[in-house]
Amino acid sequence: MNLEKKELIVKRAYKEVYKCEDHIIKVFNETHPKSDVLNEALNTARVEETGLDIPAVQEVAQIDGKWALVIEYKKGKTLEEMMTSDEANLEKYMEQFVDLQLEMHAQKAPLLNKLKDKLTRQINSLKELDATARYELLTRLESMPKHNKVCHGDFNPSNVIIGEDGKATIVDWAHATQGNASADAAMTYLLFALKDQKKADLYINLFCKKSDTARQYINQWLPIVAAAQLTKNNELEKDFLMKWINVFDYQ
Amino acid sequence: MAEKETLIPEIVDSVETLEAKMKAMREAQKVFATFTQEQVDKIFYEAAMAANKQRIPLAKMAVEETKRGIVEDKIIKNHYAAEYIYNAYKSTKTCGVIEEDPAYGIKKVADPIGLVAAVIPTTNPTSTAIFKTLICLKTRNAIIISPHPSAKACTIEAAKVVLEAAVKAGAPEGIIGWIDVPSLELTNMVMKSADIILATGGPGMVKAAYSSGKPALGVGAGNTPVIIDDTADVKNAVNSIIHSKTFDNGMICASEQSVTVLDSVYEEVKKEFAYRGCYFLKPGEELDKVRKTIIINGALNSKIPGKSAYEIAQLAGVEVPESTKILIGEVESVDISEEFAHEKLSPVLGMYRAKTFDEALEKAAQLVADGGYGHTASLYVHPSQTEKIAKHAAAMKTCRILVNTPSSHGGIGDLYNFKLAPSLTLGCGSWGGNSVSENVGVKHLINVKTVAERRENMLWFRVPEKVYFKKGCMPVALDELGTIMHKKKAFIVTDSFLYKNGYVKPIEAKLDEMGIQHTCFYEVAPDPTLQCARLGTDQMRAFEPDTIIALGGGSAMDAAKIMWVMYEHPEANFEDMAMDFMDIRKRVYTFPEMGQKAYFVAIPTSSGTGSEVTPFAIITDADTGVKWPLADYQLLPNMAIVDVDNMMSQPKGLTSASGIDVMTHAIEAYVSIMASDYTNGLALQAVKTVFDYLPSAYENGANDPIAREKMANASCLAGMAFANAFLGLNHSMAHKLGAFHHLPHGVANAVLLTEVIRYNAVEVPTKMGTFSQYQYPQALKRYAELGRYAGCQGNTDEEVLESFIAKLEDLKEKIGIKKSIQEYGIDEEYFLDTLDDMVEQAFNDQCTGANPRYPLMKEMKEIYLKCYYGK
Repeated sequence: MNLEKKELIVKRAYKEVYKCEDHIIKVFNETHPKSDVLNEALNTARVEETGLDIPAVQEVAQIDGKWALVIEYKKGKTLEEMMTSDEANLEKYMEQFVDLQLEMHAQKAPLLNKLKDKLTRQINSLKELDATARYELLTRLESMPKHNKVCHGDFNPSNVIIGEDGKATIVDWAHATQGNASADAAMTYLLFALKDQKKADLYINLFCKKSDTARQYINQWLPIVAAAQLTKNNELEKDFLMKWINVFDYQ
Repeated sequence: MAEKETLIPEIVDSVETLEAKMKAMREAQKVFATFTQEQVDKIFYEAAMAANKQRIPLAKMAVEETKRGIVEDKIIKNHYAAEYIYNAYKSTKTCGVIEEDPAYGIKKVADPIGLVAAVIPTTNPTSTAIFKTLICLKTRNAIIISPHPSAKACTIEAAKVVLEAAVKAGAPEGIIGWIDVPSLELTNMVMKSADIILATGGPGMVKAAYSSGKPALGVGAGNTPVIIDDTADVKNAVNSIIHSKTFDNGMICASEQSVTVLDSVYEEVKKEFAYRGCYFLKPGEELDKVRKTIIINGALNSKIPGKSAYEIAQLAGVEVPESTKILIGEVESVDISEEFAHEKLSPVLGMYRAKTFDEALEKAAQLVADGGYGHTASLYVHPSQTEKIAKHAAAMKTCRILVNTPSSHGGIGDLYNFKLAPSLTLGCGSWGGNSVSENVGVKHLINVKTVAERRENMLWFRVPEKVYFKKGCMPVALDELGTIMHKKKAFIVTDSFLYKNGYVKPIEAKLDEMGIQHTCFYEVAPDPTLQCARLGTDQMRAFEPDTIIALGGGSAMDAAKIMWVMYEHPEANFEDMAMDFMDIRKRVYTFPEMGQKAYFVAIPTSSGTGSEVTPFAIITDADTGVKWPLADYQLLPNMAIVDVDNMMSQPKGLTSASGIDVMTHAIEAYVSIMASDYTNGLALQAVKTVFDYLPSAYENGANDPIAREKMANASCLAGMAFANAFLGLNHSMAHKLGAFHHLPHGVANAVLLTEVIRYNAVEVPTKMGTFSQYQYPQALKRYAELGRYAGCQGNTDEEVLESFIAKLEDLKEKIGIKKSIQEYGIDEEYFLDTLDDMVEQAFNDQCTGANPRYPLMKEMKEIYLKCYYGK
């Protein structure tokens, strides 16, 4: 496959995304673990099987010695772009966003990896936390109810494409797992809060209302998802995340 | 290999070492389980002493390691955990027999539970470790501690102090253990492998404990709300709260989190708080800064617990004097979205204003719901306000409700109230998801085995206080009513036959002679009805007698008993009084006390029911057809007069039927599971008498006054026997046979008699009647005893039984009893149609319970069929 003629639409430290006529190609750099690439393909395939309308994996390939995923292209704008360009309708977009997330949470994919296992691994890998903090987080995680809902893991408006027909599609299933939907919501809230507390509040209020979930219950997940986010090693976020992590479970 | 297996790890830091450690501890506990109370008490004493001696170093260690709390207060907590716990349980029996009552044959034996898993928090690490290890030693349990990582050194040190002293005093090596390098994996493993969990920890840990599958004594979060009522002693209230809230910088889970003050004393309370060094955060920026500092996303900032008010203010960027005792935020919302409504585990207090006591209660209830279900609530009020105290107690869903008491000190017990058990593990009941709702103590760490030895029921012999008998005795007996009891008004109950034939005259003459006013109700018919009894009762109420004289057969005496009840207790309900019972002493209904208005005299005119000496009466509701059988010793007549002069002219049929009824009473009383030495003699004598005199009484009537008198006595003797030993299946089945097919009661008994005897007299019955005294099937032996006494011969019990049955059949023939139910003209089809109903109702008859053989319904059906066809 020749990538030179293709349009480069995203460039990250570990991947480049090219756009073709009816598909995109995610090319991972050599150091990116093969298993992660295959896992993303598998996750996507499993979510496809739930019946959710998402861009399908078309091919897992090697291009110039690099692993690549060929994924169906969905034409449209990201919800993030639309929220920025059409701020007056923010509330409407947020409703659409929450509805889409709830539709996803209604799905089951019993073979997806388990969210709790993933979070446990992430907490254990955090060397910048002392043993006590990790113990507290793991105890907190252990006490949370274990569910089996499809969770995106990185559900934010930049991962939602609004097609020309107005239909919304969720993309990028690299972090998909099955688990507690409130943890997924907590992660989304955190992603908003890192950028814009107002949007975060708008989001969480809508989510709690539409899903009939108590705010405290989502709050209980915040230290855990903050720890998971900390594994992404973003220095700019560190202070913010540590503040969320350092809470005291009544003893 | 063998050596390796017995190796006890020095450091527990992995699954393997923990497994080995717990295995060794279980072995040690097995030895410990054999220790006597004396040995255990010595160990308990030495361990408490050692912990007490180390209270200062341990407190210093705890503050140094956790960076929370106040050394001087932690010293008190350690001191408390050692001294108060020892004092509370020093004399408590926890080994072997802890309670015994030989008379009742009941013994309680304490066994240890085994291996206790203890989760210990950072807030009170050393004191909780001392507390838990001490109560485990006292109960002969091994205890493995999972310390919190941030307090592991001091927790382990406290456990070590207790362990060393215990071992020195004789406890098995390693009876107290701990995880040296705590992790969630090992904590979970400890909880899953132990026999019980003493979980003190956060909601996460408590949840983990409860989901481990092992019984757990967990505690939960508190959010103690305080109410200061306008009747409270404000100075005492405020200073108690300050004292409690500042104790170890507010880390006791029972400590006050918010205070709701009644409007009229609000300013006074506020002034006192301020005067005593508390800082009121200025509304706006100061309050907000503290809000955002103490709670993050609805959770407590981990930098807060156990810090001083000054430190917390600094953290929030609020300037307060260094000596500030408590930061107080005056807030309005009790909703969980208000940071001050949370548990703060630090000297930070929310303050609310309430217009009324009810509003304050509402606020407190919401604060409890916010995060303190089942824990503790507190009220300051004038002690005379008992209504408010009760209202508060009713409204709080908490397991400790403290009145005029600092809650930190109050909740842990024995400091401000000396009946609240001292403990550092406070149960929160089902509200807090706990298995206990009280302060945890030694009783929760033992299994109590109850050893119950077989005992016999107390039995009784209850008959009328006066039973007068002998031909011509009636006027003499009645004389007492006047000369001794000075009665004024007698109400006579009888039937129209007796009245018209002058039977009442001698009684009336005697009453007139004594100047006792009298009237007579003579409308009782056979199978007396409730309606008839009501009529009699109305007349009785109008007449207001102090004496009731029942003259007649069973019907008149039963009707008179019912009138007696309705006369004395118009409020009593027949349905309740007639409720079946398994044991007359345990019946649900308490029978009203009789005899407050009238003295009851029973004078029988037939020799049959024995109603003059029994506690029974049957009445039929003519409207519904329902029969109400009443049984209670309250229904015993006060005086029975058995004078054969009243019985001379009984017709032949009555003599036969009531005579065989007497026989059935005596036989059933003798083989009843409740038969006793006291009733047996009466029954034996009655059986023999009936055999000897019934044929002549039947044949010769008034011409054989001796036979008549003997039958009168037999009737009364049998009555006293079954009044106390009760009857059996023969009567159950006869009652229903009579009710369904209108056979006279005596005849119904007679046609069933020998078939029921054969049924009962088996050595291997399908089921036996249940009564403590009745040890094994023995009906055969008892029937044989009756037979022998009546003169039946035989080499074995079986032979005597056959002879006894033959003798009964012979008697029946002599007095004109037919061989089968069929011969009495009962239609076969109708009999078969009603059979199942009859069986079920007979099974349910009150008499069935005392039968020596517990019948199955299909067996009863077979008996009915055999008796119907005469085999």
